[in-house]
Amino acid sequence: MLSKTGFGFSTRSALLGALGALAMVAATSLPAAAEYPAKPVTLVVPYKAGGSTETMAQLFSKALGRELGQKVVVRTRPGAGGAVGSTYVSKAPADGYTIMFVALAGLTWDPLTKKGLEFDLNSFRYIAGVTEYQMAFITTPDKPYGNLAELIAYSGKGNSLNVADQGGISKAFINYIAKKEGIDWTAIPTRGGGEMVPFLLGGKVDFAYSGGVHGKYGDKMLVLASCLGGRLAASPEVPSIKELYGIAMPGNAVIVAPKGVSDEVAAKLEGAIQRAMNDPDFTKILGKLKFPKKFVDGNGMKTVFNEVVASLKKVVAATRN
Amino acid sequence: MIESLVGGFEAAFTFTNLLFICCGIVLGIIFGVLPGLGSVTALAIMVPITFYMSPVAAIAFLVGINKGGTSGGAIPAILINAPGTPEAAATARDGYPLARQGKPEKAMKMALYSSVFGDFFSDVMLILLAAPFAAIALKFGPPEFTAIILFSFTLIAALAGKSLVKGIIAAALGVFLSTIGLDPVDSTSRMTFNKVELFDGISLNALAIGTLALSSVISQIFDTRRGGDPAAAIVGGDYAEDNKLRPREYWSNWPTLLRSACIGTGVGMLPGLGVSLAAFLGYGAARRASKTPEKFGTGALEGIAATEASNSAVVGANLIPTISLGIPGNVAAALLIGAFMIHGVVPGPLMMVEHGELVYSIFACMLMANLLHLTIGRVGIRIWGLFVRVPKNIILPVVILLCIVGVYIPTNSLFDVGLMFAFGGLGYLMRKSGFSIVCLVIGFLLGPMFEMSLRQTMLMHKTDLSILVTSPISLVFLLLTVYFLWRFGFRTKRH
Repeated sequence: MLSKTGFGFSTRSALLGALGALAMVAATSLPAAAEYPAKPVTLVVPYKAGGSTETMAQLFSKALGRELGQKVVVRTRPGAGGAVGSTYVSKAPADGYTIMFVALAGLTWDPLTKKGLEFDLNSFRYIAGVTEYQMAFITTPDKPYGNLAELIAYSGKGNSLNVADQGGISKAFINYIAKKEGIDWTAIPTRGGGEMVPFLLGGKVDFAYSGGVHGKYGDKMLVLASCLGGRLAASPEVPSIKELYGIAMPGNAVIVAPKGVSDEVAAKLEGAIQRAMNDPDFTKILGKLKFPKKFVDGNGMKTVFNEVVASLKKVVAATRN
Repeated sequence: MIESLVGGFEAAFTFTNLLFICCGIVLGIIFGVLPGLGSVTALAIMVPITFYMSPVAAIAFLVGINKGGTSGGAIPAILINAPGTPEAAATARDGYPLARQGKPEKAMKMALYSSVFGDFFSDVMLILLAAPFAAIALKFGPPEFTAIILFSFTLIAALAGKSLVKGIIAAALGVFLSTIGLDPVDSTSRMTFNKVELFDGISLNALAIGTLALSSVISQIFDTRRGGDPAAAIVGGDYAEDNKLRPREYWSNWPTLLRSACIGTGVGMLPGLGVSLAAFLGYGAARRASKTPEKFGTGALEGIAATEASNSAVVGANLIPTISLGIPGNVAAALLIGAFMIHGVVPGPLMMVEHGELVYSIFACMLMANLLHLTIGRVGIRIWGLFVRVPKNIILPVVILLCIVGVYIPTNSLFDVGLMFAFGGLGYLMRKSGFSIVCLVIGFLLGPMFEMSLRQTMLMHKTDLSILVTSPISLVFLLLTVYFLWRFGFRTKRH
C-alpha cells in the first residue's frame, strides 16, 4: 500500500514532495541515531488490556520512561495468544522505538507449531527478561497422590486420569510425560485459569496445568511439579519437570525489539530496564500479583532462549502424530 | 451479617468514594452509549489507573463503571435502533418502536428503572449468597453446561420474529461464522486462510456492531435517500402526550422484572455464560410467558423490562463466584479480579476471611451505586432525550464514526474495522430480506460455547455421552429443551 504513487500530481510537484519527505526523514532520523531515544517509545503488549501482563507493563513503562528520559507508551495488540502483536512488532522498524513486553512461551512455541505465522525464532532481539510466570502442574490435597512420583505410580496402576490443559504448549507437555511414562492421561482443553479452577475444585479433572493462578488458593491447591527450568519461587521444595524429564516450559516475561536493532540501542534499553526494575511501584505490583522479580540480561536471555528452544523441539518431535 | 454490612457502610460512606462511584457511573454510561465500547472496554482501560487509589475507592469506581455500562447500551438502542452493546440488542426490538411512537423518554425510563431493579436484586443475592452458592457453582461441569447451552438454542424460536425458518438459517450462519479460528482442542486452523488476525476467530465486537448498529444506520440512510427528509429528526413532530412512565405501568411488569432478575442472577453465578446470553434468555422467557406475545417487537414495555433487568442482574451475581471461588463470572469480573490483585487482595476462598471488612465495604458501595445510578441515569435521560431532536443527516454519520472508533479501540486493529463494515453490509441485506440479526448473533455466541462444552464432555467421559442424562442438572435442562421444542412446534402448527 505504501508503494502507491500519487497519480494526480505533476512530476515536478511529486519530485518536490519526495525531496521534502527525504529532508524530513533526514531531519528526524539523524539525531535519533545519535541520541536514542529522541521521541516516545512504544511498548507493545500483545495481550488484552486489563490483564496481569498489561498491568505490569503499564507501571513498568512509567519507570522505564524515567530511566530513558522519554515517554514510554503502552499499546495493546491482542489476538491469537500474542501472535498478532508479535507479528506487528516483528515488522516494525528496528530503531528501538517499538519494543514489546511479552511471554517467551508464545515467541518460541508458536513458530515451532503454528503454520502461517509471519515471524520466526529469529525475528526478535531479546533485550532482557523481567519476571517469570509461575507455571506448574497442580492438584487438590484430597487426592491419593501428593507429588508427581506418586501421581505417576497411581496412573501406572491402570487409572486413566483427566488433566486440564490450557492450549497447545501445556497439552503437548502433558502428552509428552504420559508417553514417556506409558500411562493414560487425557488432556481436557480449558479457556484458561478461570475455567481450570472450577474443574479442579469441583473434581471434574484429576489434576491440572496452571499458568500461575494456583498461588491465590493457598493450601487449597497443591503443586505437583514446576513446569519451568527451575523450581517455583513459592514452592522451593517441589521439583521441576526439568529435573525429572529434562524439558522445561519457557516462563520468562521478556522485553524484545525487532531483530536488527543496533547494539547501542539494545545496550541503552537493557541498562534502563535493569534500573527501572527497582522502581517502588513496579516492585509493589510484582509482589501483589505474586510474580518474582527476575532480571536476565541480553546475554543471559540468549542462553535461556537456546535451552528453551531445544526443550520445545524435543517435545514437538515426540508428540507429533 | 447486618452488623458487618453496617460496618461496611461506615467505611465506605465517604465523599471520595461517592465521587468515584459517580465518576464510574458517568464513565460507564458514556462507554455504554458509544457503539462497540462497553463496560468491558472501560474497565480494561481504567484498571491500571486504579493502582493509585485506595482499595475501596478503586473497586467502587470500577463497580460504578460496570453498572453504568450495562444500562448505557440501552440508550442508542432505543433512540436510533443502534445498540451500543450486544446485550442491548433485544432492548432495541421494543425500545426503538416506542421511540418512533414519540415516547423515547418513556422507553429510556423503563430501561433505566428495570436495569436498577435487576442490579439491586442481584446485589442482594450476592450479599446473601456469596458463600453458600460457591458450592453449587462447582457442581456445574461440561455436561451441565452442554445441556444449558443446548437449551439456550431454543431461544431462536422466541427471537426469530415472523419466520422461524429464517431465524434458524440466520442462527446457523452465526454458528458457522463462529467456527472460524483455531480449533479449541487441537489448535489447528479452521478457515483462517493463514491470517493471524483470524486465529482467535471473528471478533464478537466487529460482528455485533456491524450487524446490529452499523447496518441499522446504513438502512436509515438509504431510507432517507429514497424520499425521507434528511433534516428530519429521528422522532418527527411532537412528543406523544403519553411520554410519562406511571408507577402503575412500571410495577404491572413485576413478574417480568422478577423473572428476568432471577435469570440474570442465575447466569451471572455460573462462570462463562455472559451478559448477552442473560439478556436474550430474559427476553425469550418473557415472550414465552406473556399473554400477549404478539405485542413484543412493537414497543412493549415488557420487552424492555425483560432485557434490561436480566442483563443488569448479571453484574452483581458475577461477583458470587469471583468472591467465593476466585473464578470470574465473565470478562468484566476477570478484570475486577485483576483490580483486586493490584491492591493485594486475592479473590477466592480466603478473601472473606482475610479481607472481610473490605468485602463488606464493597457490598455497601454496590448498594450506594444503585441509588446514584438511578439519580444520574434519570438526569441523563433529559439530556439524551435532546438527541432525538437532532436531524438525521447529522446524527447518522456521527454514529458511523463512533462505530469505527468503538471497534478499533479495544484491540487497536484495523482488520476488525474492516470486518465490521463487511458485517454492516451483511446486516443490511438481512434486515431487508427479513432474516433475524439477533438470531445470527445468538448463534455466533452459543456456537463456540456449545462446541467447547460438548468436546470437553466427550474427552472427559471417553465419548460416552450418557452422562448428559445421568447428571440430574443436565437432565433437567434437556427435558426443558424438549418441552419448549414440543410446545413451540405444537403452537405454531395450531396457528
